[in-house]
Amino acid sequence: MSLKMRLGLVFSGALFLVAVAAWIYQLKEGLILTNMQNSYSWGLYISGLAFFVGNAAGGLVLTSSIYLFGVKKLKPLAKLGALTAFANVTAAMLIVLPDIGKPIRLYNMLLHPNWMSPLVWDVIVLNLYAAAAAIYLYILMLPELTGRLGWLAIRVDDPHAFSERWAKRIAPVALLFAIGIHVVTAWIFSTQGARDWWFSPVMAPDFVSVAIAVGTTVVLLAAALAYGTGEKYQEAYRALGLIIFMATCVHLFLMANDLVIHSWYGNAETHRIMDIAWGDFGPAHLFEVAAPLLGAWLLMRPQILGSLPRLLASSALLIAGVFVHRFLIMPAAYNNIPMTMTPFGLPESHWSLPIASGRFLPGMGTFLDQYAYFPSLVEVAILIGIMAYAVFLVLLAIARLPILARENQ
Amino acid sequence: MKMGMVIDLEKCIGCRSCMVACKQHNAQPPQTWWNRVFTPGSHRHLTPPALGVEFFLPVHCQHCENAPCEKVCPVGATYHAEDGAVLIDYERCIGCRYCMSACPYGVRQFNWEDPEKAHARSEYQEKYHYGYPEDHRHEGRLVYSPLRPKGIVEKCTFCAQYRDKGELPACVRGCPGKARFVGDLDDPDSDVSRLIKSRNAFTLLPEKGTKPTVFYLPPKAKEV
Repeated sequence: MSLKMRLGLVFSGALFLVAVAAWIYQLKEGLILTNMQNSYSWGLYISGLAFFVGNAAGGLVLTSSIYLFGVKKLKPLAKLGALTAFANVTAAMLIVLPDIGKPIRLYNMLLHPNWMSPLVWDVIVLNLYAAAAAIYLYILMLPELTGRLGWLAIRVDDPHAFSERWAKRIAPVALLFAIGIHVVTAWIFSTQGARDWWFSPVMAPDFVSVAIAVGTTVVLLAAALAYGTGEKYQEAYRALGLIIFMATCVHLFLMANDLVIHSWYGNAETHRIMDIAWGDFGPAHLFEVAAPLLGAWLLMRPQILGSLPRLLASSALLIAGVFVHRFLIMPAAYNNIPMTMTPFGLPESHWSLPIASGRFLPGMGTFLDQYAYFPSLVEVAILIGIMAYAVFLVLLAIARLPILARENQ
Repeated sequence: MKMGMVIDLEKCIGCRSCMVACKQHNAQPPQTWWNRVFTPGSHRHLTPPALGVEFFLPVHCQHCENAPCEKVCPVGATYHAEDGAVLIDYERCIGCRYCMSACPYGVRQFNWEDPEKAHARSEYQEKYHYGYPEDHRHEGRLVYSPLRPKGIVEKCTFCAQYRDKGELPACVRGCPGKARFVGDLDDPDSDVSRLIKSRNAFTLLPEKGTKPTVFYLPPKAKEV
């Protein structure tokens, strides 16, 4: 194991342990350690769920490109795609845990599932996708599970043919679950008629498009770090860059389409939404549009794909833009109180009923209709730790398993 | 039997007695209020937003027939009791707060910390306890507990602990203007059914399609 790899494992492992410690502390004290309150009841953790679910799309893009569209040049990256997908989808499930007030009772999801709840669908499809990604990765690795790793291999006559045959069979099933995780995660938000910001049929297709953009970027980033930016991989990288750019354009189109319709009709609720989305969070909105667009545009250019630092910076820009996009799921939903009315005799007035905060907030009243949420140190530490978990898992797998193409090891 | 409530805004004087009765009887932790009374259009309660327009609006759980909170609950902790009230099973809730997002009325409250700690944080007198002192089970499920478990969601139960003993909810008993009525919406001759028909009753946010079982009677214009 190289020194760089060792350092990476130690550093990411340490950050993950910090998150575990922060979570144990939060289990003891309660979610009072976060900066959420009753009128702003989901924050960084649930934004993190959407973020990791998006990052997990890499497996989907690669398997569908290779087996449905016959883009054979991407084959050397298939295992990396399945690995980043598994790491991110398990990270998505992990980041939900600290958001749960009584995680010890999660067994109730098995004993008393409410089949109407999109959250139940999401848990099912996330688990299925994690299982599919793991099985798919195993099938792809099977021919190389020899020697030291021989005990891991199932006995088949011709491992190469077996791997090829079963990868083709599993790919469409995995693809179904892969699209499922984005659609169902979007439905958690877009089924909520109470929140005008979320209640939009465009949310599910937008989740798919943003996931294809960011999930592919995660694979490109991992591949560039593992293989470098030599000529051998340029063709594959250019294919990924094109997918990233197209998906980013579709995402920006869907988002703009939603915003135009929200703002065009111009009733009081949508005015309020636009005040938040374009007003209070104007600079953040600019960033969520400009950063992915610029990042994706750069990732199509040969001079960027040929230079590791430039490729890393462009990928980071896109991922950061998508992260801000995920953060912005919340403000325009929660700072727009659904219980509003035009009081009798005051046709010009648009009045919101304040909500009891449920917790002591120094310098604030009990009843709030506005809340400037910013995550607490515990929330940030846990989110960073879960990101570190995904990095740790990918690094460990690369170090121990035949993930990378042989000649490069 | 379908439980329903009617609140006569003509009779409501905005005194917030129902708010206090609700808070006390149901042992709500500091900063938690199941029932809120405000002056619509005004940022300050009991201050008219304009001369001659003054009415007050009490809002608590609307016990919707098509309740989004019940539909989103992953574990069925929020459920419809046989009489139509929407209740939360304190022993099953996992605290995901999905219901709090889904409720358009903002009535659901989370226990962000242990209530004893919340009392200390808000400088309540030590060992001061208020509210109905015993756990209460409705149809076998724990729907009220004087000390809430940390990390669960709570809200108005139409005072399940009192109704099961044949008494009225605390807000109804505590209203000095007798502005609140409860009864059976399925019975066309009940007080609530007659008031709804004869007084142009309305519900909050009808466009959300939640079908509340709490109805409001509009106020008449105030004399100036």
